[in-house]
Amino acid sequence: MSVLPFAPSAPLSLGVELELQLVRAHDHDLAHEAGDLIARLAKKKVPGAVKPEVTLSMVELNSSIQQGYAGLLAELEAQRAAVREAAGMLNLRVAGGGTHPFHKWPERRVFPAERFQSVVERYGFLAKQFTVFGQHIHIGCASGDDAIYLTHMLTRHVPQFIALSAASPFYQGEDTSFQSSRLTAVSAFPLSGHMPFVRDWREFVGYFETMRGVGIVESMKDFYWDIRPKPEYGTIEIRVCDTPLTIRRAALLAAYAQALACYYLAERPFEPAAAVYQMNAHNRFEACRYGYAGSLVEPFERRRKAIGEDILDSIAHVMPHAARLGSAQGLGDLAAEVRGGYSDAGWLRAQRGASGTLGDVVRKAAERWASG
Amino acid sequence: MQDLLWFLPDWPPAFDEPMAFGALLLAGLVGGEIVNRVLALPRITGYVLAGIACGPFGLGLVEGPLFNEARLFVDLALGLIMFELGARLDFAWLARNRWLSVAAVGESLGAFFAIYTALLYAGFAPLLAGCAAAVGTATSPAVVMLITQELRASGQITERMLLFTAVNCAVAFVALTLLLPLVHLEYKADWRSALLHPLYVLFGAALLGFAACQLMLWLAKWLGKREDRQFVLQVGMIVLVVGLARAADVTVGVALLAFGVFARNQDYDHALLPLRFGYAGQLLFVVLFVLTGASLDFGFLAQAAGAAAAFIVARFLGKAAAILAFGRLSGLRAGGAGLLSLSLLPMSGLAVVMVWDTAALFPAFGTELAAVVLSAVAILELVGPLATQFALRRAGEASAEERA
Repeated sequence: MSVLPFAPSAPLSLGVELELQLVRAHDHDLAHEAGDLIARLAKKKVPGAVKPEVTLSMVELNSSIQQGYAGLLAELEAQRAAVREAAGMLNLRVAGGGTHPFHKWPERRVFPAERFQSVVERYGFLAKQFTVFGQHIHIGCASGDDAIYLTHMLTRHVPQFIALSAASPFYQGEDTSFQSSRLTAVSAFPLSGHMPFVRDWREFVGYFETMRGVGIVESMKDFYWDIRPKPEYGTIEIRVCDTPLTIRRAALLAAYAQALACYYLAERPFEPAAAVYQMNAHNRFEACRYGYAGSLVEPFERRRKAIGEDILDSIAHVMPHAARLGSAQGLGDLAAEVRGGYSDAGWLRAQRGASGTLGDVVRKAAERWASG
Repeated sequence: MQDLLWFLPDWPPAFDEPMAFGALLLAGLVGGEIVNRVLALPRITGYVLAGIACGPFGLGLVEGPLFNEARLFVDLALGLIMFELGARLDFAWLARNRWLSVAAVGESLGAFFAIYTALLYAGFAPLLAGCAAAVGTATSPAVVMLITQELRASGQITERMLLFTAVNCAVAFVALTLLLPLVHLEYKADWRSALLHPLYVLFGAALLGFAACQLMLWLAKWLGKREDRQFVLQVGMIVLVVGLARAADVTVGVALLAFGVFARNQDYDHALLPLRFGYAGQLLFVVLFVLTGASLDFGFLAQAAGAAAAFIVARFLGKAAAILAFGRLSGLRAGGAGLLSLSLLPMSGLAVVMVWDTAALFPAFGTELAAVVLSAVAILELVGPLATQFALRRAGEASAEERA
């Protein structure tokens, strides 16, 4: 019996976690009312789960295990309706986006639960600064070896997911010039970054045992990697996405990840390559800073390529798999948005341009989340 | 010698308004700091104690005449507070959450009828009991706003405390105004003026607030969303409306409350920036509490202690009953209703002003009213801020590091 058993799950099953901002109605700053909202939702029948996060200004929606895009979107819509109703009773607004544009991190309050208090004890101010909002995508794997293979393959697509989801141009009251500024808050944690270059699950378990043996980690939860295996769920978890402004885009990102996973597991087109990780830091930065316009280095062909173009190529490549999974139409729409240069970060900047204040940006983002 | 030193002022020097303002400010500052450092009580309590120390029951530095001169400061301070409070009265929230509306109105009516009944039992005349109940319906807007600011409190209890205070102030104004005709008739006024006066006071103030809001929205759109300019705009408009309300002899509090409510609910284009008046507001707050402290009359307390106690207990129970009945339905968490009820305990400057204004119209009636209401204020002035502070801290809505 391994110390880290991988509980297999239905291959290509799908799930998302969405961290959302809770905003006050009168000044659009972050609220401190996650406890009240979750307590209220606990009385209702809501599909999936609504959970607390490290500070009282955030809640996390968890979908249940889904098979495809349509089912996931329908469930997220039901969750949104429930959250919107409960938040309305408390005069709270709920918004997507990777960061709140102007909140001050020292004002955050930590959720009163032991596990969050221990995060504060361990990480100090990083815990409150971690009031950023991401989408995590889970993809089911039949075995630990598949999970390791898929993690290596999808790492090559990390810049794509960053560019597609980028929705955090503003941070602490300033335009950061980044499309996604959120990941810098994650990078501050000592165990962030990526999984080591291991061949298979056995080798991964060896690495984990070493780290646990010397007391650096206690469980898989302590790794804040961009993509990490989640053995207790039997999934891999993609953690680089900003929470998009709409649940439709959140579902599309998950559908895209599912189609990529389907392609890699079915065709096994490449052997895992260390080069992916050599290029990763550069490619990741380009995506955070410039979004689609960033230029990544394709690790297998060793050539430069615009990230937007790279996304379109990948989508075209996985289309046959998307068709089987029922997400071809959705991915087609996503590709059209990429071609049109649409990003949530761009939309947020446009809202500021129209009115001039970040308060209006938050108000419009909340209106968009409630309806879009 | 006298001729030689003609340039020296008379002794003692005349006490003019800037001196009064500055002296009150510093007295409050020092009092607040001492009380906060030594006793770890809210600064407000210190301001009030400083006022008591300066007033007729202390060193006697501040007496009747200054009080009337200082009324301008009181009106400005209350005006600013009522505007900010009005801007927290969000009709959209009340419409979305019906039980919240029921709780807010119930809380006001509960306090009114509880006080009214208690005073009737205590042997007061119905009209007097009614007017005292009307004044007692309102929670002190200054205390709840200032404690909120000092604790940097934010959360459901805080939001609802501010909302309920806005509602109960509005109900108190309306109730007191509607009772005025009866007082008029009791004092044998012409029935026509008895009817027209309250209408003028209420609708005049509301109309003024509405007109001022339209002007401010128009100017805000023209100025754009610049915080520095909007700060001057909003302060300028508030001071102007205070002045206009005084000139027109309508209730300053109603005019500014209406102004704030319209500003919140009529700004469809989101032209106004949400401003915090911060340090500028603090100046007026401090003076308001020092003056309120100086105006407390402990002479009444001796004769009306029983009635004041009945007033306070009935008021609290009336408020709490409605909040406990409807709190959970309106989405308040377990235990929240009790804390919210407690946070709404304070009575302060607004009650004093309401009593003064009634006394100015009907001196004899006013004295009777003052005996019971101001005795209650004298007690709640000291207990109220503590109750609010305790409630918000206990609710976990105060910023942890801050010591108010």
